[in-house]
Amino acid sequence: MLEQFWYGLLAPFESIDTFVESGGWVLPWIFIAGLVMWTLIVERWWYLRYAYRKERETLTQTWKARPEHKSWHARQIRRMMISRINVRLVGSLPLIRVIVPLAPLLGLLGTVTGMLEVFDGMSALGYADARTMSDGVSHAMVATLAGLAVSLSGIFFVGRFQTLSMVETELFADALEY
Amino acid sequence: MSARKLLCALALLPGIALAQTQAKGMDDLLNRIRQDGAASAKLNQEREARFLRDRSAQAEMLQKAEAEHASVKARSDAIRARYEANQKQIAELKEQFKTRAGDYTQVAATVRQAAADFRSHAGDSPLSTQFPERLAVLDALSADDAMPGQADIEKLWFVLQQEMTENGRVARFQGEVVDTQGSSTKEEVIRVGAFTAFRDGDYLVPQPGGNQLLELLHQPERGFRSLARKFADRDEATAPILIDPTGGTLLAQEALRPSLGERIEQGGAVGYVIIAVGLVGAVLAIWQLAWLLRTDRAVRRQLDNVAQPSQDNPLGRVLATFKGDPNTAAEDAEVIELRLSEAVLREVPKLERFQAFLRLAVAAGPLLGLIGTVVGMIITFQVITEQGAGDPRMMAEGISQAMIATVLGLGIAVPLLFINSLLAARSRVITQILDEQATGLLAERLEKARA
Repeated sequence: MLEQFWYGLLAPFESIDTFVESGGWVLPWIFIAGLVMWTLIVERWWYLRYAYRKERETLTQTWKARPEHKSWHARQIRRMMISRINVRLVGSLPLIRVIVPLAPLLGLLGTVTGMLEVFDGMSALGYADARTMSDGVSHAMVATLAGLAVSLSGIFFVGRFQTLSMVETELFADALEY
Repeated sequence: MSARKLLCALALLPGIALAQTQAKGMDDLLNRIRQDGAASAKLNQEREARFLRDRSAQAEMLQKAEAEHASVKARSDAIRARYEANQKQIAELKEQFKTRAGDYTQVAATVRQAAADFRSHAGDSPLSTQFPERLAVLDALSADDAMPGQADIEKLWFVLQQEMTENGRVARFQGEVVDTQGSSTKEEVIRVGAFTAFRDGDYLVPQPGGNQLLELLHQPERGFRSLARKFADRDEATAPILIDPTGGTLLAQEALRPSLGERIEQGGAVGYVIIAVGLVGAVLAIWQLAWLLRTDRAVRRQLDNVAQPSQDNPLGRVLATFKGDPNTAAEDAEVIELRLSEAVLREVPKLERFQAFLRLAVAAGPLLGLIGTVVGMIITFQVITEQGAGDPRMMAEGISQAMIATVLGLGIAVPLLFINSLLAARSRVITQILDEQATGLLAERLEKARA
């Protein structure tokens, strides 16, 4: 019973292990890229959901507390506030945005090295059959798949956060009335 | 007159003397002939006597030779008779043997066959280095005329059983090892079953048919060798180790696989160009990233202390362009903004240094790789055209060499793309601070100064 429970706990790790095994040397790198990307995505989501509201509130209060909102000084300060909020909103988005094309590139690297393995096997044996080629082909295909999967999983969030950062900047600008 | 007579006489003298000597010579000649005749007659007599003597001796010799011939012939006849008798006896004994052996010949044949089969297997097994005596046993058993007795069959049983038992065992033993120089020494060897043998991290393969182990000329990669070294030092019940179920063939194949350096060499000129571009890009990017991080820190310090703009950071330099009376700042707003934006324009190129080159390198890497691959393919197909496509090995090798360029191109594109995005993100934030916030900071400062 306990043993079964233990194996049940280990099952996901085992399946990841077999997956990495069948994907060759590039898979850990794709995995790291995916991990970094998702950490950043979660961090962005957390910021937009919680931290951003507070920051926006304090800045809006500072603006409202000003005695006047019409002078050159006031306008420049308003521009600065908007810029600051925009910097905070964008945050690590460029990094997320670069991992989207990076992951398929890594996958492609795995594909090419996998094909190299196939040809190495062929040149070692002097003939080609499915058995000698299967290992290299598996590495090539699994690496490509993993790269594309990581890339696709991030694409939606990149677009979403980009829109959000733009929209929220605009909304903040609207909130600072003069 | 007298003189003439004298002359004449003188002239005649020799003639007279000649005649006298001639007469004397003839006598001598006669005498000599007589003497010679007598002598030769004597010689002939002697010769005849000798001939007669010799003839009797010859006859004696002939008799002797004939007698010898007869005795030898008699002896040879006796021997031939004995030989034939022996042959007959042998045939009889063989017949007897056959009848007596009966089914046992099949047993012997089976044992011989088994011993020969096992001998060929044992010749390619590292176990023969540990137990060299078993090869002699097997050789004796697999000889053509071997008629093994019970003890011999039991010996065969023993070596077969030994093979099975030792196959499942890891052992340390002193064995004959031939190193790459060809000199053989007795050294401590570790073997894993009959699969893998190694000594001090060097993998060994059995010498075909012999009882020595040969050190592999091309050892497998470092990871596998350190695995073997660690395996030798461990005392635990289990430890990971590389096993070659083919007994050396796979190891030799593994060693033939080109290393990273050899692969890069295969990439040729295009490969070196790609690596050079990648290295230059990486050095520039890392240098610029370090500079940007330092600048970023300095800008943040300046943000905390807007009142004293210092010249060691872009923001300080931009803020320092404002000189004048805080009270009239609002009237000169446009001038201030112009000055600030000019200052920002001066700073931006330094912040965005190398990014264009890195973008170019990211785009060029895979393209250069493609060039290398296409060139390699052209060469491969050229060779196939010249030599015929009978050998897939040649084609595979050519294609794998051609693909190295693509691998290298992608290999530089990936890290450069990543580091370039870091640079772009960093520089964008600083530019934004300069561009959009510097004026605001100034305005805040002026307000505080007025209040």
